[in-house]
Amino acid sequence: MKNVMIPKPHEITHVIKHTKAEYTFRVACDDETKHGQFYMLSIPKIGEAPISVSGKGDGYLEFTIRKVGRLTEGVFGLDVGDTIFMRGPYGNSFPVEDFENKHLVVITGGTGMAPVKTMLDYFSENQDKIKSLHLISGFRDLDCVLFTDEIDKYKCDFNVICSLDNMEAPGFHKGLVTEHIKKIHFDTFDEYSVVVVGPPLMMHFTTKELLANGVDESRIWVSIERKMHCAVGKCGHCKINDTYVCLEGPIFNYTDAKDLID
Amino acid sequence: MDMRSDILNLMKNRGDLYRFLSKVYIKEMDPAFLDSMKAMSFPNISLESDLEEGFKELKEYLDNMSKDAVDDLAADYAKTFLSAGISNGSAAFPYESVYTSKDRLVMQEAWADVREIYASYGLSKGNVNSDVLEDHIALELEFMALLCKKSAEDIDEIKLLRSQSDFLDNHLLNWVPDFCKDVEEYAETKFYKAIAKITKGFLKLDRQILDKVIDIVIEKNGSRCYSLSTDRMDQILKQLKKNYRVYAPKRFEKRGPKGDSDLVRYAEIDSVKDIVLDVQSDFSPKEIYYPISQTMIYFENSHSSESILKEEKDIIIFARPCDINGIESLDKIFLENGGYADIYYKRLRDKVKFFMIECKEGFEDCFCVSMGSNKTDNYSVAVRLGEDNILVEVKDVEFFSLFRDEKSADFTPMFVESNKKVVKLPKIESDEDLKKAYGLEFWKNYDEKCIGCGGCCTVCGTCSCFDTVDVIYSDTSTDGERKRVWSSCMLDTFTLTAGGKRFRETNGENMRFRTLHKVYDFKKRFGTDRHMCVGCGRCDMRCPQDISFSDTINTFSEEMEL
Repeated sequence: MKNVMIPKPHEITHVIKHTKAEYTFRVACDDETKHGQFYMLSIPKIGEAPISVSGKGDGYLEFTIRKVGRLTEGVFGLDVGDTIFMRGPYGNSFPVEDFENKHLVVITGGTGMAPVKTMLDYFSENQDKIKSLHLISGFRDLDCVLFTDEIDKYKCDFNVICSLDNMEAPGFHKGLVTEHIKKIHFDTFDEYSVVVVGPPLMMHFTTKELLANGVDESRIWVSIERKMHCAVGKCGHCKINDTYVCLEGPIFNYTDAKDLID
Repeated sequence: MDMRSDILNLMKNRGDLYRFLSKVYIKEMDPAFLDSMKAMSFPNISLESDLEEGFKELKEYLDNMSKDAVDDLAADYAKTFLSAGISNGSAAFPYESVYTSKDRLVMQEAWADVREIYASYGLSKGNVNSDVLEDHIALELEFMALLCKKSAEDIDEIKLLRSQSDFLDNHLLNWVPDFCKDVEEYAETKFYKAIAKITKGFLKLDRQILDKVIDIVIEKNGSRCYSLSTDRMDQILKQLKKNYRVYAPKRFEKRGPKGDSDLVRYAEIDSVKDIVLDVQSDFSPKEIYYPISQTMIYFENSHSSESILKEEKDIIIFARPCDINGIESLDKIFLENGGYADIYYKRLRDKVKFFMIECKEGFEDCFCVSMGSNKTDNYSVAVRLGEDNILVEVKDVEFFSLFRDEKSADFTPMFVESNKKVVKLPKIESDEDLKKAYGLEFWKNYDEKCIGCGGCCTVCGTCSCFDTVDVIYSDTSTDGERKRVWSSCMLDTFTLTAGGKRFRETNGENMRFRTLHKVYDFKKRFGTDRHMCVGCGRCDMRCPQDISFSDTINTFSEEMEL
């Protein structure tokens, strides 16, 4: 019988320092993953936490980690050549096949860009598979901006609106992501989907604004984050109603997500 | 063929072989018998190596028999069994008494014993052969043949089958293997050497066959009920403890959560008198198969490995129906949810067998009837524990032999039919109902009243949530282990993420979550007919704030109907 709780050591091959508090770790790994899935990352003595796959390529996976807790702080002490323990991938994925050949709007707040990044990369490389892609990415200020190189590339491929909550800077709009939603002309799209990923408050107000702009609930997809100690439906921490985020999520259609009351 | 005719056939074949062997041992071979033997076809079976070899060698002897065979065999018979001629007194005397008495004498204890047994069946040696003593091998084998015949006439009579296995255990198998060894040594002809092998092998095999048949017949006829004394039960307990760890609710004086009170929790017992019956145990039995703290993974030199389960013995738990039903919830979560089976749970759970404590009255805080968990048939043995006398119903084949010598009794375990506390479950039939349930102001009552200690989940037999915790052996290395420890959705940290976001922010919200999980979510998710609460009442006993879960459910249900 397979023991799903045993993590395996993986070598860190690159560390990309986006900001003081947000690094991307590239680890050697041959796993096949789907867009939006996550791993349980751990360091012995510090513990485990669910982290989304933010990038993937031949023989590697990337995880973008924000320094917020004990584990992530511990991870920040790691360097190239060090080992990190992983088990996964877990969770469902974005319904990319449903998104294909339609218009897609992706709205992210801060590190919320991480779970959608492999999908953005996919459409960036396969632009013929999407009618149009609109990315609204919000960051608190210039010091918090992530994935600058990628965003520059996306700007060539898609309609990108990058915004800073609190400050003005060249190449950035000012204001919350919600303020830019009206710039997307949903009424001109025949078929479309919207993906929203970010902090809980950002997701709350963004979906509210989308609905106010006439977007149907069923077109909205969200990826949600909850505390997890197992990721396999045992520890109980991520349970909402009769739903386990680790098993049925982390990606939900808004018609389901709106009924998830913690 | 059906099972009945299978057993009938088996009885006939066993009887035939016993009778054949008896005939061989009773006196010298006569020409007619030897001739008829040549025409016999011997089974070519490989169930038992001695038996198989014996048949082969016997067939070889019969196929290559000389014309002087009858005389040769008569001489060998006299030498081997009667110590005649140049045997120097070394012979295989065919009497049990010789093999089991200190001075190798005839007519000792074993002889008296078998006479008594024959008599209890209305037999005396006059019925068979008057030339030899009752404990002669031929007579003992003939007695077995007779019992086989009787069993064939009444295959449901367990007593007859048991008297056969008892007779083998107490008599034939007690000495015949040694006797056969002597025959093989002292006999000159291949014939008697082969017969000895057949005898030895057949008795061994037949003993196993009887166990199987007894199990099958008992299974066919349902469970067995017995009456026994407390002392006798303790002897059985002692037997059980060789292979099992036996747990039951046990009293720990002045160790209770409330000052001077006693603590009753599951622990290993040495006597059934240790089992606490007068109060509900403070803790459920779950800590036996789902320990409070459990090492999952060892980390060493950047490698991870699975913890080893040191427990080799299986587990018997004396538990009431509510707690036996409670384990179903843990099974759902740990073995089924998400399609992953949890190895740490499974490896202990697989060891567990329940001895159900009959529970007819329940206790002050119980509401098992309302939760439909007052009854169960998921037990190996049911017990009614009286002052001096114990009634048991044995359902599990594994325990049949332990109780088989006890006095038969009529016993059907009874269950609680009504509790003082009656709980009405909330009516939630639509999304609107569910929204209403979430929005009730009533939950806010618990913001202050509940202090979020999580004690309710700790004593609960169905709560399964845990945290994982890493422990390292020294500050300078990352060698250590990852454990899991019980957690509770009532703790303020339960939904708190590393980023500092707490998804349920008040004790009232936690209470709402826990209540709905217990009486709605779980049942909805798994589509079972059972809720994740068995009405054991332990959370009410435990709560330092005197919050009653049964009252909570009732008020919740009333609020839903407003």
